[in-house]
Amino acid sequence: MIKGYAGRILEIQLETEKFVFKPLDEDIAQLYIGGKGYGTRLLYDLTEPGIDPLSAANPLIFATGPLNGSVAPQTNRFAVVCKSPLTGGIGNATCGGSFAYAMKRAGVDLIIVQGSARSPRRIEIEDDAVRFLPADDLWGQGTYATQEALGKKLKHAVIGPAGENRVLYAGIVSDERIAGRTGVGAVMGSKNLKAISINGKRKLEMDDPDAFKAYTKTVRDLFKEHPVLGESMKRFGTGAIVNTTNGRNIIPTHNFKYGHFDDAMQVSGEHMEEHELVGVKSSCIHCPVTCGRDVEVEGVGRVKGPEYETLALLGPNLEIGNLKNVNEWNYLADDLGMDTISLGATLSFAMELQERGMFEAGVSFGDPDGISELIQDIGHRRGTGDMLADGTRRMAERLGGMEFAMHVKGLELSAYDPRGSFAQGVEYATTNRGGCHVQGASMYLESVGPLTINPQNLKLKADIPVIQQNLACAINSMVLCIFSTYGMFPAAIHNMDPSSRTHWALSKMMENMGPLFRGFMGIKGKPMLWWEKWLTYITGETMSSGHIQEIGARIFNLERIYNLREGLTQADDTLPSRILHEPTFPGQTSGHPLDALLPRYYTLRGWDAQGVPTTKTLDKLQIRHSA
Amino acid sequence: MSVTVQLTYDMAREVGEPRLEISGARTVADVVRLTREKFPGDTTQFDKLSRVAALAVNGVLIHHRRGKKTAVEDGDLVAFVKAAAGG
Repeated sequence: MIKGYAGRILEIQLETEKFVFKPLDEDIAQLYIGGKGYGTRLLYDLTEPGIDPLSAANPLIFATGPLNGSVAPQTNRFAVVCKSPLTGGIGNATCGGSFAYAMKRAGVDLIIVQGSARSPRRIEIEDDAVRFLPADDLWGQGTYATQEALGKKLKHAVIGPAGENRVLYAGIVSDERIAGRTGVGAVMGSKNLKAISINGKRKLEMDDPDAFKAYTKTVRDLFKEHPVLGESMKRFGTGAIVNTTNGRNIIPTHNFKYGHFDDAMQVSGEHMEEHELVGVKSSCIHCPVTCGRDVEVEGVGRVKGPEYETLALLGPNLEIGNLKNVNEWNYLADDLGMDTISLGATLSFAMELQERGMFEAGVSFGDPDGISELIQDIGHRRGTGDMLADGTRRMAERLGGMEFAMHVKGLELSAYDPRGSFAQGVEYATTNRGGCHVQGASMYLESVGPLTINPQNLKLKADIPVIQQNLACAINSMVLCIFSTYGMFPAAIHNMDPSSRTHWALSKMMENMGPLFRGFMGIKGKPMLWWEKWLTYITGETMSSGHIQEIGARIFNLERIYNLREGLTQADDTLPSRILHEPTFPGQTSGHPLDALLPRYYTLRGWDAQGVPTTKTLDKLQIRHSA
Repeated sequence: MSVTVQLTYDMAREVGEPRLEISGARTVADVVRLTREKFPGDTTQFDKLSRVAALAVNGVLIHHRRGKKTAVEDGDLVAFVKAAAGG
């Protein structure tokens, strides 16, 4: 067995309450690493086309990768893969905390949950023992109470009422982290599965533990001194980005009608640090970055505070500038177990419908009244909440307003308005799980990072998403935190005066080095970046940026052909009408120029004009596929 | 003619307001000069805090326009923007 893997897949059949440990397929591990990549390969192979995502036929796959179980920073996340009930295409989400570490300690790389239980159940896994237990007493409980009831001996992945009630953007919660996107929690709820708890005593075997240990210390020291990973995120969490996106006119405001909100500073990470922060215990195991923020919620106590996406989509997007409100709504969503990105965009959509007289949502922009109650109603599918529990696309199909329903492929947009971040727009339009930012994070290179290109011309705007999506696919298969990539710009770049000529020259150079950039990223040479070195030291297989790009492209294309198999088409590679047609920047006559960028994106991907990967592309990437 | 200046959090703490209204500016250079004049105390703190921030006019970095010679118009929003990461 390749080092770094436990070598076992646990397959669970809920109907019969049987389980079996199967050997990990080394060929798949070499081609897809693990995590999201391996999970997607299994989903493609195990399912027939057209299954109902909320039926027993949809497997729910929990997947780790070779970096999990180590003490390297930011390496303890797991991926969840299934068919998405929200999009009808590939569903996946990753989650931090300590569950991934516990899976590897139990000697399990992946858990495949098949079928559905007849009544609420939970599963305990300790090394080789698997126990099926009733969960009737936990059904209806929030994710906080559920994990508390399950105790601290094992690590847990649980759903809350949102998952039980099949809210289409319900997530799976572990510690105070969530695998939030694409409705993976609704799939778990459809299986009557409340919780998986796991731990064990195994240790991760590495190919070169001494080199790993020495290099990990170097990286920890690097992170400690880094302006983002060692300072900004440590002090302000991800909320540090609020004032940046607000200044760049790309923070969603009033359901993405505008890109700037006057009171945004009141919900920023800096404001949180000064007025609300009570600690950082909610961060992931072995992570020195500690981006998690703890805040006090009245009547509840100390809980995990909101991340950037939550701050933006439940703050400016709803025209709310009171952090205490957002803290409370974030807690409610976490406890109910649902994705705050989809929640925020769905709430703002409902508010705009109401503003236009198309729906009686009972909530309005700029007014916190009724929002807490509505979030509870969504989680329990009560009253108006039942409608919002299906997300913006289905609401628009029933009530109208598709032109301002802010989703791609059914997944609500993250909190970066692509009209001020063109590459991010291409990424939203083409990412297989829908409108998401962590499947590439192109905005970092054009709108928010320390060295950015002009985000509003066509240069590199189709190129960056390809490279970034490939990288993110590999990162989510190791499984590493995407924030690790923010360390790629050295401190010297961060500390440079952004008004200087040098900074300007570097920015221009970056904008014009497309072919060089692609060429460099494609070189299969020596490992350079920390995740490449970690993979090399742990598995014994040499990993360089060229290897990572190839594996990432393989995973991305497999997701693509899964989506095509499930009925998605080129027409789904689009952006909301508001983004395409309504300008938010003075001097612009329309929105995002997607039509001008997609053909080049398809060409770079090796797809035909209809967005279908060619046989040559699939063969080159060694992707097994049905005709 | 008046433009709104969006400050960074650290700058706003010094000034006591998240935004300033500036009159009489024709270019970004004017905006920077007039903002500096409105800062409390000597200019050392302004220079320290503004050095780490890029400048954007209505969301577009002045790098992509004419730098500090970029013209501003009545009602424009000029923002001091720090690089950040998150998600």
